[in-house]
Parts: sequence; structure tokens; C-alpha cells
Amino acid sequence: MSAAQAETVIGRSVSRQLGRHLLVVPALAVVVLCFVIPYLNLLVISAMTPSTRAAYLPVFTLANYTRLIADPFTWRVIWHTLWLGGLTTALSLLLGYPLAYHLARAPRRSRGLLMVLVISPLLVGVLIRTYGWMILLQDTGVINQFLRSLGARGVPLMYNDLGVLIGLTHVFVPFMVLSVAGTIQGVDPELELAARSLGAGAWRAFWRVTWPLSLPGVTAGTLLVFVLAISSYVIPSLLGGFTVLTVPILVVRTVTELFNWPAGSAFAILFFAITLAILWVYLRIMGWASRGVS
Amino acid sequence: MAELRLQGLTKRFGEVVAVRDLTVTVESGELVALLGPSGCGKTTTLRMVAGFEAPTQGRVVLGGRDVTDDPPERRNCGMVFQHYALFPHLTVEQNVAFGLEMRRLPRSEVRRRVGEILERVGLTGLARRYPRQLSGGQQQRTALARALVINPSVLLLDEPLANLDAKLREEMRFYIRSLQREFGITTLYVTHDQAEALVLADRIAVLMNGVLQQVGSPEEIYSRPRTATVAAFLGVTNLLPGRVVARRSDLVVLRTSAGIVRACGADGLAEGAEAVVSIRPEHIDLDRADAPGSRDGVNHLRGVVRERTFLGGLVDFRVDLGEGFLLRVQGRAGAPQRVGDQVSVLFDPQAAWALPAQETA
Amino acid sequence: MGQPGGVVSAMVRRHERVLLTAVAALIYLFLLAPVVIVVLAALNSGTYLRFPPEGFSVRWFVAFAQSRSFTRALVFSLRLAGVVTCIATVLGTMASLWVVRFGGRLRTAMRVLFTAPLAVPGILTGIALLVFFYAVGWRRTGFAGLVVGHTLICIPYVFLIVSAVLVRFDRSLEEAARSLGADPFTTFRRVTLPLIKGGLISGATFAFITSYDEFNISLLLSGVGATPLPIELFDYLRFSFDPTAAVAGTISIAMALVVVLLTQRLVGLESLYMAGG
Repeated sequence: MSAAQAETVIGRSVSRQLGRHLLVVPALAVVVLCFVIPYLNLLVISAMTPSTRAAYLPVFTLANYTRLIADPFTWRVIWHTLWLGGLTTALSLLLGYPLAYHLARAPRRSRGLLMVLVISPLLVGVLIRTYGWMILLQDTGVINQFLRSLGARGVPLMYNDLGVLIGLTHVFVPFMVLSVAGTIQGVDPELELAARSLGAGAWRAFWRVTWPLSLPGVTAGTLLVFVLAISSYVIPSLLGGFTVLTVPILVVRTVTELFNWPAGSAFAILFFAITLAILWVYLRIMGWASRGVS
Repeated sequence: MAELRLQGLTKRFGEVVAVRDLTVTVESGELVALLGPSGCGKTTTLRMVAGFEAPTQGRVVLGGRDVTDDPPERRNCGMVFQHYALFPHLTVEQNVAFGLEMRRLPRSEVRRRVGEILERVGLTGLARRYPRQLSGGQQQRTALARALVINPSVLLLDEPLANLDAKLREEMRFYIRSLQREFGITTLYVTHDQAEALVLADRIAVLMNGVLQQVGSPEEIYSRPRTATVAAFLGVTNLLPGRVVARRSDLVVLRTSAGIVRACGADGLAEGAEAVVSIRPEHIDLDRADAPGSRDGVNHLRGVVRERTFLGGLVDFRVDLGEGFLLRVQGRAGAPQRVGDQVSVLFDPQAAWALPAQETA
Repeated sequence: MGQPGGVVSAMVRRHERVLLTAVAALIYLFLLAPVVIVVLAALNSGTYLRFPPEGFSVRWFVAFAQSRSFTRALVFSLRLAGVVTCIATVLGTMASLWVVRFGGRLRTAMRVLFTAPLAVPGILTGIALLVFFYAVGWRRTGFAGLVVGHTLICIPYVFLIVSAVLVRFDRSLEEAARSLGADPFTTFRRVTLPLIKGGLISGATFAFITSYDEFNISLLLSGVGATPLPIELFDYLRFSFDPTAAVAGTISIAMALVVVLLTQRLVGLESLYMAGG
């Protein structure tokens, strides 16, 4: 191959390569400019000094963080948020797993319909579903009316942690189902049959065979739900009224009502860091638990 | 028609060398089968010819023109893929017409040629169907029609019969062969099925681990394999190790664990060399243990029958020649030998082929 | 290989399957309850949803249509979603093509990057954008600001759905087209595009409805004259409680059903499985 020929080959493949890579540039630009950089900016602002006359003073300080960390209120809210998130995750798993199993083992034709039922609530939007719960859970809502018509007393189902839990669980069960169903489907049903033939009852066959093999999906699902649950804003604020305080609510309040951008940012980032730490620990544990599964 | 020349084709994927210095010529109108086990580099070679892989080294010359740097759409290769690759969103007609449309032929011409080829492959009634509505054999023929209608310089087939059931596969083999002969297209046919290669090919190129082992007619490859692996790959054979003690023009005399053996020798097999003798089971006869010794130079060994398997029209024997070497012998249906019998093992030196023991390729 | 009904699982006995189905049915009921309630409230004749329901009426639909602020917000949301869908679909598809085909070693990193906006709290993204726009001097962000924010969270959906379709795509079809004389662009146009069309439409409808329903980011970036319907609803719900809001809910529900059914038809909802399988 002569030098000129080699050059054309190289030249052609280089321009062909470059042309291809142009495909990703626009989306990349959007994500970097409108996502990565704003978040980095947030990091910067969390170290700026709050001011009453402007959004913030460009003076570096770590006071935002130290003040936050020293304040027990901060930790109470963080703990409350994590606790709500954890409980939501547990409930979502409890409700979502049976649904996922049923879906994964359903005959091909039914599966389509079932998927529609699972996903439709997701697409309706958090606000609408929360509104639906408000109608149901209020003191004068449908459920309490029903209870009273039976002669029982009304139960406070809203403007408290219980209402928030119900709302959150409801929103995140579909996410859990979607995460877990795929993995269950991947578990060869013949394995369960083999267990049955060896003397295991339905529950034991499930618990000893299917459950361990579905752990990767369970890990993914619980992770997803937990992260989403602690980040939720609409449900705690509408269903919790002013009594339930979570980190997102407090952050928004700090930024939009108190106009203290630096403090709000610091809180957000502190929470983010704590979440990452929890996730890391969780993944290590789950990794150890699913060590038998590829 | 065009001649296809592969010159020193090499393909490296990182550390792995999939094809090493492959040089072979497919004469105009010839069908060469590229035969080898899975992973031997034959599909990679085909893809280099088609233009889907760029060779690390080497050239592809089609009809006298170096096409190595040309993109696939400019090579005028007709390709039939292993899973047919029929466009699911187009009908049979539209699939077949695709290549002609790419060549900007007038619509009337396209319609005419599509009609002709569909009739030739017997799919006229199915022209408006979609691929998913066709049987495996029909899809196969559609793929062929699509590749042939563009009058390609070379026809490339990538294990096209692998997905068909055994009976259909046999039918389609002869069908493809007759089509190829009728159109007289230079063809490169990739397969791992040696029976297929033997039926279809004018010449077979045996590829192993990316290296070309041997090129020759089916008869040559079958009866005069160049290496022990080629011998073992085509059909069943016995490989009896031995050492050359004498050589007289074509014939060699070897000392083996079972005794003295006379055989035809491959070139380059000198006295003192370590060798293997390839003897096909169908060329061996069994006789009573007390049969007279060597007559007319026929090889005469002794052994004990260890296994006897009835296969319908044939019987498969395993005969112990001593030191654990089990010789496979093919007998006729009524062969009288039974397990445990002492037997004489007889075979003609012309049917025995001595090869060097080491792989030199 | 299955029992009658085609179900193969540990539940070999009839009563086991019945039990599972019953439990599943209850949970589905839980999932659908608030959605059904909203539709009932919208069609209810009384202001408060009584148990048992009072009567059927479309008065709230009328009230909605007559409400200047609601209809304006509805139109705004539709316009916003329309613009966002166009941008997100094009960008998301291009990104998906690149990652699946040419990503190479960067593939995993890019996949993480393009799905990250979904993994972080929307409310934080909203704050980050609000603060960032201010920092670069963009004060009255209005419609454009919302477009930016919504596109950011819609691209991941398009990306995920189109990727799922592309990964399943049989490359040999493109090779066949190339061998028949089609250059790369024609191949994409005549072979690839028609066959991934379903994924594109699915991704687009998902993007549309995501933008239409989006609350968290809109909360922070909306302003006077730039109020999407969810924000309008939110403000309304803080103070009143009549079912006019339920009408907006019913519209959303109808849209959601259309999107889901369309996606199931075109791509199969199983492509939305998020892990394993």
C-alpha cells in the first residue's frame, strides 16, 4: 500500500469517525450545560455567604455547613426523611414483589394488560394521584365517611406521617414492580418446579430458590425507590400539611421563602452526600448477600 | 463473471488474530467452500470480502479491481446471511427489488427482473407476503433471489442452511448448487458442515484457527489431507501414530505400535520422521485371525474386537490393535465378527495416507 | 412445558395460584384507587365526594372549561410539552444511536450521564437551574427556562426507550442493505428508521407526558405568565377543594392511558424493565 493510498484510507476513516461522534454532541451539550454545571454551581454557592440584599455574597465560607451540622434540627429532619424513605421502601417491596411475581409468571397475553395497569398510574402524574389520595384520606374523605357510616370513629389519615407513607408507597410500587419483574422473569421457572419435585412447598420453593435469585432486581428496586422517596416534595407537602417536614420541603422553603440560597444549597448537598454514603453501604451489603448469584 | 482473489488477508482484533495471511483465489464461476470449525475465522473472512470488516493487512481483488478500500455498497457482492436478514417491513417483492432500486434502475426494469427471479426460485405467488409469513425454506429462497437479481460479481453465503431442518437442508444444498451453476456466479460459501462442503464445492479451502490448511477438490481433501487435523475434520478417520522406516517414491513403510504398515506418503515425509497414518473406516476389512498373511502388499494387522454397534445398513467396530489403540472399522450389515473375537485387520496401502505428526501449518 | 393457562411457576396447585392472584388483585386495587377516585370526583354532581356517590354530572367539566386560569395553563402545558418533545426526541435518539453503536469504552459512562437527570431529586435540579440561570444573568426565564428544565428530564426517557429498541435491532439487516448498494444514510432512512419507529414514537409520547405532568422543576422555574397546569393545580389545591381540579386530573388520566396503550402496541412495555431480565 503506497503512502498516498494509506493516507486516503486513514483520512476517510477519520472523517467517518468524526462524523459519527457528532451524533452525541447536542444531547451531551444539554446535559453538561444544564445539569452538570448547574449542580457544580450549587456546590460553589453552598460555600458563599448569605446576604439580605442579593442572592448571596461572593465570599467563601464554610459557615453554612458548620451551622447546619451543629443544629440538631437539621439532623432531626434528615433522620425523619430517611426514616420515611426506608419505611416507604419496605412497604413498596412488600406490595410490589407479589405483583412483580404475578406479572413475571403471567401468560404472555395477560402480561400486556397487567403492565398497562402497573404503568398507567405512573404516567398520571404525582399531583393528580396525591389529589386522589386527598379525596380518600381526608377527615371528610371517602374512607372516613365509610367508617363513620359503619358507626366507627374517623381515623386521621392525612396531614401526618401515615398519609405521607400511603401516598409515597402508592407512587413507588410501580417502580419496584418494574425493577423486580425483569429479574424474576429471568429466573428459569423450571428451577421452581425442580424444587417442588424435591419436596418443597410453594412458599419454600419460592423462598429458597426464586427469592435469592431475584436479589439483584430487589437491590436495584429498593435503591431506586429509596432515592426517589427521600427526594419527594409534592407528597409530603400536600399529604403532610405543615406537620411533616422532609429535607426537600425544607430546602425549597429555605431557597424560595427565606431566600437563603447558600444555606439551602448546603443543606441539599449535605443530604446528597449522606444519601451517597448510605447507598454505598447498602450496595456493599447487598453485594455480599447476592454473592451466589452472578 | 469475475474472479475473486484474497491476498495475504489478515485480521487482528486486539491481541486475537482471527485470520492470518489468507491467500486463495476463487476462479470465475467457481464455488469455493470455506470450511472450518466454529471460530476458525471463516465468517470474518467473508465479512472482509463483503466490506463489513477492514483487513488489518492484505488485499481483496474482485474482477481485477482492488476493492479493499471500497465501502460495501460499491462492491457489487450478493450476500446471503445466516439468518437471511430479510427486511421485515418490506414484502418479498420489495425485498428483492431493494438492490435494483439502489442502482437507480427504471421501475419497469425493476419489476421485470424481480418477476423473473421470483419465478426462477418459485416464489411468484408469495410476492406480496411479508418475511414473517414465509417458511424457512421460502425465506431462504427470497434471500437468494435478492442477492442474485442484482447480477453480483461474486455471491457470498454465510452458512445459509444452518437454520433449516435436516431434510430441507439436503434439498436446499442441491438447489443452491444448481442455481449457482446455472447463473455461473463466482461463489464463496462459508460452512462448518463438511458434508455440505463435499456436496457443493468445486474446491474446498479448509481454515483452522485463522490459518489456511489446504485448498483442493473435495476428493483431494478427503483422501489426501495435508495435516492430521484436516484429516480428522472431514469425515471419520483413524490416526495411527508411527515412524517412517523406509521410503520408496510414493510409498512409505512405517513402524507402528500395531506392526509394520505400508502407506502412501505425503510430500516431505522422510525416513525417520514421526508420522500419523490416516485410514478411513470404510477402507478396512476384517477377516479371521488365522487368515493368510500379507498378500500383494496388503497391510495385515492383528486385533481383538472390543465393540460392535449396529447402525442399520452398516456395522461399526472398534478393534483393539494393542497398547489401547482402538481402530474404527466399518463393516457391512451382516458382518460376522463379534465382541471378543480375534481378527485380522486388512487394508490397501493406497487407502492409507501417511502425514507428518506435527502440525506444520 | 406449562400448566394449563401457560403459567409455569412454583405455584403448581390451583389454590396457590388463586391466592397469588387474589393478593395481586388487591394490590392493583390499591394502585388504581386514587386514579379512579379522581375520575369519579370529576363526574360527581356534588362538591364533595360522598360515599355512596351522589350523582352524575358534567358541571365540573364546564367549570374547568370556563376557568380562564385553568384553560390558559392547559394550553401552556400542551405547548410546552410539544416543544420539549420535539427537542428531547431528536436529541435523545441521536444520543442513543451513538451510545449503542459507537460508544465503545465510553458507553457505560455515557449511559450513566444520560440517565442521571432521572436519578437526582427533581426538586434539586429545579433549584440548581434556578440558581444557575440567575448566576449567568438570565432573569426572566419563563417559557424558555421551562423548556430547558423539562428537556433535561425528558431526554433520559427517550434515551432509555430508543436504546432498548436499538439493542435488539438486527445489525445484519443494515449490512444486507449495504451489500445491496445502499450507502449509510440511505440504509438508515430505508431500513433502520422504519424499524425503530415504534421506539421513537414511544419515547416521544413518554417525553410528552413527562413534561406535561412535571411538577418539581416547574415549581421553581415557573413565573407569572409561565404557569404549567400542575403548578396551577397545586396553587388551587392549597386553598380550594372543589372538583374542578379533578377535571384536570381526568384529562391527565386519559392521556396516560393513551400513552401506555400506544407504547404497549408499538414497543411492548417490557422494554421498560429497569433491571435484569
